[in-house]
Amino acid sequence: MFSQNDTVENVFRYEYGKIIAVLVNRFGPSHLENIEDAVQDALLKAMKVWGYKNPPDNPTAWLLRVACNGLIDTFRKNQKMKLDDPALYFDAGKDPKELLLKDGISDSQLKMIFACCHPSLSVEYQIILSLKLIGGFGNREIAKVLLKKEETVAKSFTRAKAKLKEEITTLDIPIEIGLQSRLFVVMRVIYLLFSEGYAPYSGETVVRRDICYEAIRLALLLDENRYCRHPNLNALIALMCFHVSRFDARMDQNMELVDLEHQDRSRYDGELIRIGISHLGNAGTTDRLPSKYHLEAAVSYYHCSAKTFEETDWRAILQLYNLQMDQQYSPIVQLNRIVPYLKVYGAKRAFWELRNFENSPHFTENALYHAIKAELWYQLGDKAAAGPSMEKAMALTNNVLEKKHLHKKLQQWEGPC
Amino acid sequence: MYNIMSNYLFLFRGGDSRRLEQSPEEMQEHMQKWGAWMGGLNEKGQLVDGLPLAKDGKVVEKAGEVVTDGPFAEGAEIVGGYLIVSSDSLQGAVEISKGCPIFEHGGNVEVREIMSMNM
Repeated sequence: MFSQNDTVENVFRYEYGKIIAVLVNRFGPSHLENIEDAVQDALLKAMKVWGYKNPPDNPTAWLLRVACNGLIDTFRKNQKMKLDDPALYFDAGKDPKELLLKDGISDSQLKMIFACCHPSLSVEYQIILSLKLIGGFGNREIAKVLLKKEETVAKSFTRAKAKLKEEITTLDIPIEIGLQSRLFVVMRVIYLLFSEGYAPYSGETVVRRDICYEAIRLALLLDENRYCRHPNLNALIALMCFHVSRFDARMDQNMELVDLEHQDRSRYDGELIRIGISHLGNAGTTDRLPSKYHLEAAVSYYHCSAKTFEETDWRAILQLYNLQMDQQYSPIVQLNRIVPYLKVYGAKRAFWELRNFENSPHFTENALYHAIKAELWYQLGDKAAAGPSMEKAMALTNNVLEKKHLHKKLQQWEGPC
Repeated sequence: MYNIMSNYLFLFRGGDSRRLEQSPEEMQEHMQKWGAWMGGLNEKGQLVDGLPLAKDGKVVEKAGEVVTDGPFAEGAEIVGGYLIVSSDSLQGAVEISKGCPIFEHGGNVEVREIMSMNM
Protein backbone atom coordinates (compact mmCIF):
# COMPACT_ATOMS: atom_id res chain seq x y z
CA MET A 1 0.00 0.00 0.00
CA PHE A 2 0.97 3.53 -0.61
CA SER A 3 2.58 5.30 2.27
CA GLN A 4 3.72 8.86 2.56
CA ASN A 5 7.40 8.49 1.84
CA ASP A 6 10.25 10.56 0.56
CA THR A 7 10.12 9.28 -2.99
CA VAL A 8 6.83 10.89 -3.61
CA GLU A 9 6.96 13.89 -1.33
CA ASN A 10 6.64 17.05 -3.37
CA VAL A 11 6.97 15.07 -6.53
CA PHE A 12 3.94 16.54 -8.25
CA ARG A 13 4.98 20.14 -8.03
CA TYR A 14 8.52 19.52 -9.22
CA GLU A 15 7.57 17.04 -11.87
CA TYR A 16 4.96 19.32 -13.32
CA GLY A 17 7.52 21.98 -14.12
CA LYS A 18 10.15 19.51 -15.25
CA ILE A 19 7.92 17.58 -17.61
CA ILE A 20 6.32 20.70 -19.06
CA ALA A 21 9.81 22.04 -19.80
CA VAL A 22 11.04 18.80 -21.37
CA LEU A 23 7.96 18.49 -23.58
CA VAL A 24 7.83 22.15 -24.61
CA ASN A 25 11.48 21.92 -25.48
CA ARG A 26 10.82 18.82 -27.55
CA PHE A 27 7.59 19.79 -29.31
CA GLY A 28 7.71 23.59 -29.25
CA PRO A 29 5.74 26.26 -27.38
CA SER A 30 2.98 26.17 -30.00
CA HIS A 31 1.73 22.97 -28.38
CA LEU A 32 1.78 24.44 -24.90
CA GLU A 33 -1.92 23.88 -24.23
CA ASN A 34 -1.89 20.26 -25.31
CA ILE A 35 1.25 19.72 -23.29
CA GLU A 36 -0.29 21.22 -20.19
CA ASP A 37 -3.35 19.00 -20.60
CA ALA A 38 -1.20 15.93 -21.10
CA VAL A 39 0.88 16.62 -18.00
CA GLN A 40 -2.24 17.37 -15.98
CA ASP A 41 -3.74 14.09 -17.17
CA ALA A 42 -0.59 12.21 -16.29
CA LEU A 43 -0.70 13.62 -12.78
CA LEU A 44 -4.38 12.71 -12.50
CA LYS A 45 -3.53 9.18 -13.51
CA ALA A 46 -0.69 9.10 -11.04
CA MET A 47 -2.99 10.42 -8.36
CA LYS A 48 -5.40 7.57 -8.99
CA VAL A 49 -2.95 4.74 -9.47
CA TRP A 50 -0.40 5.74 -6.85
CA GLY A 51 -3.21 6.20 -4.36
CA TYR A 52 -3.86 2.47 -4.66
CA LYS A 53 -0.35 1.12 -5.02
CA ASN A 54 3.15 2.23 -4.19
CA PRO A 55 4.45 4.91 -6.50
CA PRO A 56 6.98 3.75 -9.10
CA ASP A 57 10.71 3.84 -8.37
CA ASN A 58 11.26 6.54 -10.93
CA PRO A 59 8.19 8.80 -10.80
CA THR A 60 9.66 11.22 -13.34
CA ALA A 61 10.04 8.52 -15.96
CA TRP A 62 6.55 7.21 -15.29
CA LEU A 63 4.95 10.63 -15.55
CA LEU A 64 6.94 11.62 -18.61
CA ARG A 65 6.00 8.42 -20.42
CA VAL A 66 2.32 8.79 -19.59
CA ALA A 67 2.28 12.49 -20.52
CA CYS A 68 4.16 11.84 -23.73
CA ASN A 69 1.87 9.02 -24.80
CA GLY A 70 -1.17 11.12 -24.01
CA LEU A 71 0.22 14.02 -25.99
CA ILE A 72 0.93 11.89 -29.02
CA ASP A 73 -2.58 10.44 -28.82
CA THR A 74 -3.92 13.97 -28.92
CA PHE A 75 -1.71 14.80 -31.91
CA ARG A 76 -2.97 11.74 -33.76
CA LYS A 77 -6.60 12.52 -33.01
CA ASN A 78 -6.14 16.12 -34.00
CA GLN A 79 -6.52 16.14 -37.77
CA LYS A 80 -5.58 19.78 -37.99
CA MET A 81 -2.00 18.89 -37.41
CA LYS A 82 0.31 19.03 -40.37
CA LEU A 83 1.42 15.66 -41.57
CA ASP A 84 5.05 16.66 -41.64
CA ASP A 85 5.05 17.78 -38.03
CA PRO A 86 7.94 15.98 -36.42
CA ALA A 87 5.88 15.54 -33.29
CA LEU A 88 3.90 12.84 -35.05
CA TYR A 89 7.00 10.79 -35.62
CA PHE A 90 8.31 10.98 -32.14
CA ASP A 91 7.72 7.73 -30.37
CA ALA A 92 8.00 8.61 -26.74
CA GLY A 93 7.11 5.15 -25.57
CA LYS A 94 10.34 3.82 -26.94
CA ASP A 95 13.02 5.81 -25.32
CA PRO A 96 12.05 8.39 -22.79
CA LYS A 97 15.43 7.86 -21.18
CA GLU A 98 17.20 10.36 -23.35
CA LEU A 99 14.77 13.01 -22.22
CA LEU A 100 15.39 12.11 -18.65
CA LEU A 101 19.07 12.79 -18.44
CA LYS A 102 19.68 15.32 -15.74
CA ASP A 103 21.33 17.75 -18.14
CA GLY A 104 18.39 17.45 -20.48
CA ILE A 105 15.94 18.43 -17.79
CA SER A 106 18.08 21.27 -16.44
CA ASP A 107 18.69 22.56 -19.91
CA SER A 108 15.01 22.43 -20.80
CA GLN A 109 14.01 24.14 -17.60
CA LEU A 110 16.56 26.88 -18.07
CA LYS A 111 15.25 27.52 -21.57
CA MET A 112 11.72 27.46 -20.26
CA ILE A 113 12.54 30.05 -17.62
CA PHE A 114 13.87 32.40 -20.24
CA ALA A 115 10.90 31.80 -22.51
CA CYS A 116 8.55 32.70 -19.65
CA CYS A 117 10.59 35.84 -18.98
CA HIS A 118 10.69 36.93 -22.62
CA PRO A 119 10.92 40.73 -22.94
CA SER A 120 7.84 40.89 -25.16
CA LEU A 121 5.75 39.81 -22.19
CA SER A 122 4.72 42.14 -19.40
CA VAL A 123 6.37 41.58 -16.04
CA GLU A 124 3.09 40.36 -14.62
CA TYR A 125 2.75 37.78 -17.40
CA GLN A 126 6.35 36.74 -16.93
CA ILE A 127 5.82 36.07 -13.26
CA ILE A 128 2.52 34.24 -13.70
CA LEU A 129 3.92 32.05 -16.47
CA SER A 130 7.02 31.23 -14.47
CA LEU A 131 5.24 30.40 -11.25
CA LYS A 132 2.73 28.28 -13.08
CA LEU A 133 4.82 26.49 -15.68
CA ILE A 134 8.10 26.23 -13.81
CA GLY A 135 7.15 26.43 -10.17
CA GLY A 136 4.08 24.22 -10.56
CA PHE A 137 1.91 26.72 -8.67
CA GLY A 138 -1.86 26.54 -8.76
CA ASN A 139 -3.94 29.64 -9.51
CA ARG A 140 -4.88 29.97 -5.87
CA GLU A 141 -1.26 29.97 -4.73
CA ILE A 142 -0.31 32.53 -7.37
CA ALA A 143 -3.24 34.69 -6.33
CA LYS A 144 -1.87 34.68 -2.78
CA VAL A 145 1.67 35.49 -3.79
CA LEU A 146 0.66 38.33 -6.10
CA LEU A 147 -2.22 39.53 -3.92
CA LYS A 148 -4.72 39.14 -6.74
CA LYS A 149 -8.00 37.35 -7.20
CA GLU A 150 -7.92 33.76 -8.34
CA GLU A 151 -10.10 34.45 -11.39
CA THR A 152 -7.88 37.37 -12.37
CA VAL A 153 -4.85 35.08 -12.26
CA ALA A 154 -6.63 32.44 -14.34
CA LYS A 155 -7.54 35.02 -16.99
CA SER A 156 -4.07 36.54 -17.04
CA PHE A 157 -2.54 33.11 -17.39
CA THR A 158 -4.67 32.35 -20.43
CA ARG A 159 -3.70 35.65 -22.04
CA ALA A 160 -0.07 35.25 -21.09
CA LYS A 161 0.02 31.81 -22.68
CA ALA A 162 -1.50 33.11 -25.89
CA LYS A 163 1.12 35.85 -26.00
CA LEU A 164 3.91 33.39 -25.28
CA LYS A 165 2.83 31.17 -28.16
CA GLU A 166 2.59 34.17 -30.44
CA GLU A 167 6.03 35.51 -29.59
CA ILE A 168 8.10 32.42 -29.06
CA THR A 169 8.45 29.58 -31.48
CA THR A 170 11.44 27.73 -30.13
CA LEU A 171 13.09 27.64 -26.78
CA ASP A 172 16.61 28.94 -26.50
CA ILE A 173 18.83 30.58 -23.98
CA PRO A 174 19.38 34.13 -25.11
CA ILE A 175 23.00 35.12 -25.24
CA GLU A 176 22.57 38.55 -26.70
CA ILE A 177 22.38 41.87 -24.87
CA GLY A 178 18.82 41.32 -23.75
CA LEU A 179 19.94 38.64 -21.38
CA GLN A 180 20.65 40.82 -18.40
CA SER A 181 17.28 42.48 -18.24
CA ARG A 182 15.63 39.10 -18.52
CA LEU A 183 17.93 37.72 -15.89
CA PHE A 184 16.61 40.31 -13.44
CA VAL A 185 13.05 39.11 -13.98
CA VAL A 186 14.14 35.52 -13.59
CA MET A 187 15.77 36.39 -10.28
CA ARG A 188 12.67 38.17 -9.11
CA VAL A 189 10.58 35.12 -9.92
CA ILE A 190 12.97 32.90 -7.99
CA TYR A 191 12.88 35.34 -5.10
CA LEU A 192 9.06 35.28 -5.06
CA LEU A 193 9.09 31.51 -5.18
CA PHE A 194 11.48 31.39 -2.27
CA SER A 195 9.54 33.94 -0.24
CA GLU A 196 6.36 31.94 -0.58
CA GLY A 197 8.20 28.87 0.67
CA TYR A 198 9.91 30.74 3.47
CA ALA A 199 6.79 32.33 4.89
CA PRO A 200 3.73 30.56 3.58
CA TYR A 201 0.78 32.87 3.50
CA SER A 202 -1.48 30.26 5.05
CA GLY A 203 -1.58 26.66 6.05
CA GLU A 204 -0.11 24.72 8.89
CA THR A 205 3.59 24.77 8.14
CA VAL A 206 5.90 27.59 8.88
CA VAL A 207 8.24 26.87 6.01
CA ARG A 208 7.71 24.94 2.86
CA ARG A 209 11.13 23.49 2.32
CA ASP A 210 10.21 21.99 -1.02
CA ILE A 211 9.48 25.39 -2.53
CA CYS A 212 12.60 26.92 -1.02
CA TYR A 213 14.83 24.14 -2.31
CA GLU A 214 13.25 24.40 -5.74
CA ALA A 215 14.02 28.12 -5.79
CA ILE A 216 17.64 27.42 -4.84
CA ARG A 217 17.88 24.68 -7.43
CA LEU A 218 16.69 27.06 -10.16
CA ALA A 219 19.13 29.74 -9.04
CA LEU A 220 22.02 27.28 -9.08
CA LEU A 221 20.90 26.17 -12.52
CA LEU A 222 21.28 29.73 -13.74
CA ASP A 223 24.62 30.06 -12.04
CA GLU A 224 25.94 27.04 -13.95
CA ASN A 225 25.39 28.90 -17.20
CA ARG A 226 28.17 31.34 -17.88
CA TYR A 227 25.93 33.83 -19.60
CA CYS A 228 23.71 34.03 -16.57
CA ARG A 229 26.36 34.66 -13.96
CA HIS A 230 25.81 37.92 -12.16
CA PRO A 231 26.73 39.39 -8.76
CA ASN A 232 23.04 39.79 -7.93
CA LEU A 233 22.45 36.14 -8.64
CA ASN A 234 25.20 35.17 -6.24
CA ALA A 235 23.74 37.48 -3.64
CA LEU A 236 20.34 35.88 -4.16
CA ILE A 237 21.77 32.39 -3.72
CA ALA A 238 23.60 33.50 -0.57
CA LEU A 239 20.44 35.04 0.81
CA MET A 240 18.49 31.83 0.26
CA CYS A 241 21.23 29.65 1.78
CA PHE A 242 21.41 31.79 4.91
CA HIS A 243 17.66 31.67 5.39
CA VAL A 244 17.46 27.93 4.80
CA SER A 245 20.33 27.27 7.22
CA ARG A 246 18.02 28.26 10.08
CA PHE A 247 15.09 26.03 9.05
CA ASP A 248 15.65 23.24 11.57
CA ALA A 249 15.94 25.70 14.42
CA ARG A 250 12.71 27.49 13.56
CA MET A 251 10.60 24.60 14.87
CA ASP A 252 10.85 22.80 18.20
CA GLN A 253 10.02 19.16 19.03
CA ASN A 254 6.36 20.03 19.52
CA MET A 255 6.32 21.43 15.99
CA GLU A 256 5.88 24.90 17.35
CA LEU A 257 7.44 28.01 15.96
CA VAL A 258 10.58 29.28 17.69
CA ASP A 259 11.51 32.93 17.29
CA LEU A 260 15.00 34.16 16.56
CA GLU A 261 15.69 34.91 20.22
CA HIS A 262 14.98 31.36 21.40
CA GLN A 263 16.37 29.34 18.51
CA ASP A 264 18.96 26.68 19.27
CA ARG A 265 21.78 28.04 17.15
CA SER A 266 23.69 24.78 17.20
CA ARG A 267 20.97 23.54 14.85
CA TYR A 268 21.84 26.08 12.18
CA ASP A 269 23.22 24.33 9.12
CA GLY A 270 26.90 25.29 9.00
CA GLU A 271 27.40 23.79 5.57
CA LEU A 272 24.69 25.96 4.03
CA ILE A 273 26.09 29.02 5.78
CA ARG A 274 29.49 28.25 4.24
CA ILE A 275 27.94 27.85 0.78
CA GLY A 276 26.13 31.14 1.29
CA ILE A 277 29.32 32.88 2.31
CA SER A 278 31.15 31.60 -0.73
CA HIS A 279 28.41 32.90 -3.01
CA LEU A 280 28.41 36.20 -1.21
CA GLY A 281 32.16 36.29 -1.86
CA ASN A 282 31.40 36.04 -5.59
CA ALA A 283 28.75 38.70 -5.36
CA GLY A 284 31.12 41.63 -5.23
CA THR A 285 30.05 44.69 -7.11
CA THR A 286 32.56 47.37 -7.94
CA ASP A 287 30.66 49.60 -10.26
CA ARG A 288 27.23 49.71 -8.73
CA LEU A 289 25.28 49.83 -5.52
CA PRO A 290 24.54 46.56 -3.80
CA SER A 291 21.17 45.13 -4.85
CA LYS A 292 18.39 44.39 -2.43
CA TYR A 293 19.53 40.78 -2.58
CA HIS A 294 22.95 41.86 -1.33
CA LEU A 295 21.46 43.83 1.53
CA GLU A 296 19.02 41.11 2.53
CA ALA A 297 21.71 38.48 2.30
CA ALA A 298 23.90 40.56 4.58
CA VAL A 299 21.11 40.92 7.17
CA SER A 300 20.52 37.21 7.09
CA TYR A 301 24.25 36.58 7.39
CA TYR A 302 24.44 38.67 10.57
CA HIS A 303 21.61 36.66 12.04
CA CYS A 304 22.92 33.22 11.29
CA SER A 305 26.53 34.00 12.14
CA ALA A 306 25.81 35.53 15.57
CA LYS A 307 26.76 33.00 18.24
CA THR A 308 23.91 34.07 20.50
CA PHE A 309 20.90 36.30 20.09
CA GLU A 310 22.51 38.83 22.44
CA GLU A 311 25.63 39.00 20.28
CA THR A 312 23.68 39.94 17.16
CA ASP A 313 25.14 43.05 15.55
CA TRP A 314 21.91 45.04 15.53
CA ARG A 315 23.65 48.27 14.55
CA ALA A 316 24.99 46.70 11.37
CA ILE A 317 21.59 45.23 10.62
CA LEU A 318 19.85 48.55 11.15
CA GLN A 319 22.40 50.16 8.86
CA LEU A 320 21.56 47.61 6.15
CA TYR A 321 17.87 48.38 6.51
CA ASN A 322 18.64 52.09 6.22
CA LEU A 323 20.51 51.41 2.99
CA GLN A 324 17.57 49.44 1.63
CA MET A 325 15.24 52.29 2.49
CA ASP A 326 17.54 54.80 0.83
CA GLN A 327 17.62 52.78 -2.35
CA GLN A 328 13.96 52.03 -2.68
CA TYR A 329 11.08 52.67 -0.33
CA SER A 330 9.22 49.56 0.66
CA PRO A 331 6.59 49.47 3.40
CA ILE A 332 7.66 45.97 4.40
CA VAL A 333 11.30 47.00 4.79
CA GLN A 334 10.17 50.05 6.72
CA LEU A 335 8.21 47.86 9.08
CA ASN A 336 10.89 45.22 9.54
CA ARG A 337 13.43 47.94 10.23
CA ILE A 338 11.64 48.66 13.51
CA VAL A 339 12.97 45.38 14.93
CA PRO A 340 16.70 46.29 14.81
CA TYR A 341 15.73 49.88 15.63
CA LEU A 342 14.16 48.65 18.83
CA LYS A 343 17.33 46.74 19.70
CA VAL A 344 19.57 49.70 19.07
CA TYR A 345 17.50 52.59 20.42
CA GLY A 346 15.03 50.96 22.78
CA ALA A 347 11.26 50.70 22.89
CA LYS A 348 10.47 54.35 23.44
CA ARG A 349 12.24 55.64 20.35
CA ALA A 350 11.12 52.64 18.31
CA PHE A 351 7.56 53.44 19.24
CA TRP A 352 7.93 56.99 17.95
CA GLU A 353 9.57 55.68 14.82
CA LEU A 354 6.60 53.42 14.26
CA ARG A 355 4.19 56.27 14.91
CA ASN A 356 5.76 58.13 11.99
CA PHE A 357 4.28 55.81 9.45
CA GLU A 358 1.56 53.92 11.20
CA ASN A 359 -1.20 55.76 9.40
CA SER A 360 0.00 54.31 6.14
CA PRO A 361 -2.77 52.20 4.60
CA HIS A 362 -0.25 49.39 4.06
CA PHE A 363 -0.31 48.42 7.68
CA THR A 364 -3.87 48.47 8.93
CA GLU A 365 -4.41 44.88 7.81
CA ASN A 366 -0.84 43.71 8.34
CA ALA A 367 -0.37 41.07 11.05
CA LEU A 368 3.32 41.81 11.53
CA TYR A 369 2.59 45.48 12.08
CA HIS A 370 0.20 44.71 14.89
CA ALA A 371 2.53 42.12 16.40
CA ILE A 372 5.41 44.60 16.45
CA LYS A 373 3.19 47.25 17.94
CA ALA A 374 2.04 44.83 20.64
CA GLU A 375 5.66 44.04 21.47
CA LEU A 376 6.45 47.73 21.76
CA TRP A 377 3.49 48.38 24.04
CA TYR A 378 4.55 45.44 26.17
CA GLN A 379 8.12 46.61 26.45
CA LEU A 380 6.86 50.04 27.43
CA GLY A 381 4.95 48.37 30.24
CA ASP A 382 1.47 48.97 28.86
CA LYS A 383 -0.04 45.49 28.96
CA ALA A 384 -3.55 46.85 28.54
CA ALA A 385 -2.65 48.18 25.08
CA ALA A 386 -0.40 45.24 24.13
CA GLY A 387 -3.18 42.65 24.44
CA PRO A 388 -5.62 44.04 21.88
CA SER A 389 -2.80 44.71 19.42
CA MET A 390 -1.67 41.12 19.69
CA GLU A 391 -5.20 39.87 19.26
CA LYS A 392 -5.52 41.94 16.13
CA ALA A 393 -2.26 40.42 14.82
CA MET A 394 -3.59 36.95 15.54
CA ALA A 395 -6.84 37.63 13.74
CA LEU A 396 -4.97 38.83 10.67
CA THR A 397 -2.63 35.82 10.47
CA ASN A 398 -3.66 33.05 8.11
CA ASN A 399 -0.84 30.76 9.06
CA VAL A 400 -1.88 28.40 11.84
CA LEU A 401 1.58 28.09 13.39
CA GLU A 402 2.14 31.83 13.42
CA LYS A 403 -1.18 32.29 15.09
CA LYS A 404 -0.25 29.75 17.76
CA HIS A 405 3.10 31.41 18.30
CA LEU A 406 1.52 34.82 18.81
CA HIS A 407 -1.04 33.31 21.13
CA LYS A 408 1.69 31.72 23.25
CA LYS A 409 3.45 35.02 23.54
CA LEU A 410 0.27 36.75 24.60
CA GLN A 411 -0.33 34.11 27.27
CA GLN A 412 3.17 34.63 28.61
CA TRP A 413 2.51 38.34 28.88
CA GLU A 414 -0.74 37.77 30.70
CA GLY A 415 0.75 35.03 32.87
CA PRO A 416 1.16 35.23 36.66
CA CYS A 417 4.81 36.31 36.48
CA MET B 1 -22.09 -15.00 18.69
CA TYR B 2 -19.96 -13.95 15.79
CA ASN B 3 -20.63 -12.23 12.52
CA ILE B 4 -19.82 -13.75 9.19
CA MET B 5 -17.65 -11.51 7.08
CA SER B 6 -18.61 -10.74 3.50
CA ASN B 7 -16.87 -8.88 0.75
CA TYR B 8 -18.31 -5.62 -0.48
CA LEU B 9 -17.63 -3.85 -3.74
CA PHE B 10 -17.15 -0.08 -3.69
CA LEU B 11 -17.68 1.61 -7.04
CA PHE B 12 -16.30 5.13 -7.19
CA ARG B 13 -18.08 7.54 -9.46
CA GLY B 14 -17.44 11.14 -10.44
CA GLY B 15 -15.24 13.82 -8.99
CA ASP B 16 -13.08 14.16 -12.09
CA SER B 17 -14.14 17.65 -13.06
CA ARG B 18 -13.16 19.00 -9.67
CA ARG B 19 -9.82 17.23 -9.87
CA LEU B 20 -8.95 19.05 -13.07
CA GLU B 21 -9.09 22.37 -11.25
CA GLN B 22 -6.45 21.35 -8.76
CA SER B 23 -2.87 22.50 -8.66
CA PRO B 24 -0.22 19.77 -8.80
CA GLU B 25 0.26 20.16 -5.09
CA GLU B 26 -3.42 19.77 -4.31
CA MET B 27 -3.58 16.70 -6.53
CA GLN B 28 -0.75 15.20 -4.58
CA GLU B 29 -2.41 15.98 -1.27
CA HIS B 30 -5.59 14.36 -2.47
CA MET B 31 -3.70 11.29 -3.60
CA GLN B 32 -2.05 11.04 -0.21
CA LYS B 33 -5.47 11.05 1.44
CA TRP B 34 -6.48 8.07 -0.67
CA GLY B 35 -3.25 6.36 0.28
CA ALA B 36 -3.83 7.06 3.97
CA TRP B 37 -7.44 5.92 3.82
CA MET B 38 -6.62 2.69 2.07
CA GLY B 39 -3.56 2.17 4.24
CA GLY B 40 -5.86 2.38 7.27
CA LEU B 41 -8.28 -0.19 5.79
CA ASN B 42 -5.37 -2.46 5.04
CA GLU B 43 -4.07 -2.27 8.59
CA LYS B 44 -7.47 -3.21 9.94
CA GLY B 45 -7.58 -6.15 7.54
CA GLN B 46 -10.62 -4.72 5.77
CA LEU B 47 -9.03 -4.21 2.38
CA VAL B 48 -9.25 -7.07 -0.09
CA ASP B 49 -8.43 -5.58 -3.47
CA GLY B 50 -8.92 -2.56 -5.68
CA LEU B 51 -7.66 -0.56 -8.64
CA PRO B 52 -8.57 2.54 -10.59
CA LEU B 53 -10.05 2.26 -14.07
CA ALA B 54 -8.89 4.10 -17.17
CA LYS B 55 -11.40 6.64 -18.43
CA ASP B 56 -11.76 5.16 -21.91
CA GLY B 57 -13.92 2.10 -22.43
CA LYS B 58 -16.31 0.32 -24.75
CA VAL B 59 -19.77 -1.06 -24.33
CA VAL B 60 -20.43 -4.21 -26.28
CA GLU B 61 -24.03 -5.07 -27.11
CA LYS B 62 -25.80 -7.70 -29.17
CA ALA B 63 -22.90 -10.07 -29.15
CA GLY B 64 -20.64 -7.43 -30.64
CA GLU B 65 -22.97 -6.09 -33.28
CA VAL B 66 -22.98 -2.81 -31.46
CA VAL B 67 -19.82 -1.48 -29.89
CA THR B 68 -19.88 2.05 -28.50
CA ASP B 69 -17.49 4.26 -26.64
CA GLY B 70 -18.39 3.97 -23.01
CA PRO B 71 -21.83 3.94 -21.45
CA PHE B 72 -20.93 7.28 -20.06
CA ALA B 73 -23.78 9.66 -20.46
CA GLU B 74 -22.30 12.16 -18.05
CA GLY B 75 -18.98 12.61 -16.32
CA ALA B 76 -20.57 12.07 -12.94
CA GLU B 77 -21.56 8.57 -13.98
CA ILE B 78 -18.13 7.30 -14.84
CA VAL B 79 -16.83 4.57 -12.60
CA GLY B 80 -13.33 5.75 -11.79
CA GLY B 81 -12.24 2.81 -9.74
CA TYR B 82 -13.27 0.01 -7.46
CA LEU B 83 -12.33 -1.42 -4.12
CA ILE B 84 -13.27 -4.65 -2.40
CA VAL B 85 -13.52 -4.48 1.36
CA SER B 86 -14.41 -7.00 3.97
CA SER B 87 -17.15 -6.23 6.49
CA ASP B 88 -19.69 -8.03 8.65
CA SER B 89 -22.65 -6.14 7.24
CA LEU B 90 -23.79 -3.77 4.54
CA GLN B 91 -24.15 -1.11 7.21
CA GLY B 92 -20.54 -1.73 8.29
CA ALA B 93 -19.36 -1.40 4.69
CA VAL B 94 -21.28 1.86 4.32
CA GLU B 95 -19.57 3.16 7.46
CA ILE B 96 -16.20 2.30 5.95
CA SER B 97 -17.08 4.11 2.72
CA LYS B 98 -17.83 7.32 4.61
CA GLY B 99 -14.13 7.99 5.08
CA CYS B 100 -13.46 7.95 1.35
CA PRO B 101 -11.72 11.09 0.01
CA ILE B 102 -13.87 11.02 -3.14
CA PHE B 103 -16.55 13.04 -1.33
CA GLU B 104 -14.21 16.03 -1.28
CA HIS B 105 -14.63 16.20 -5.03
CA GLY B 106 -18.36 15.67 -5.16
CA GLY B 107 -18.09 12.03 -6.24
CA ASN B 108 -20.02 9.11 -4.77
CA VAL B 109 -19.50 5.53 -3.70
CA GLU B 110 -21.84 2.70 -4.56
CA VAL B 111 -21.60 -0.10 -2.00
CA ARG B 112 -22.69 -3.60 -3.04
CA GLU B 113 -22.33 -6.93 -1.34
CA ILE B 114 -20.48 -9.49 -3.40
CA MET B 115 -22.48 -12.71 -3.37
CA SER B 116 -20.64 -15.61 -1.89
CA MET B 117 -20.83 -19.16 -3.23
CA ASN B 118 -20.78 -20.58 0.31
CA MET B 119 -24.11 -19.30 1.49
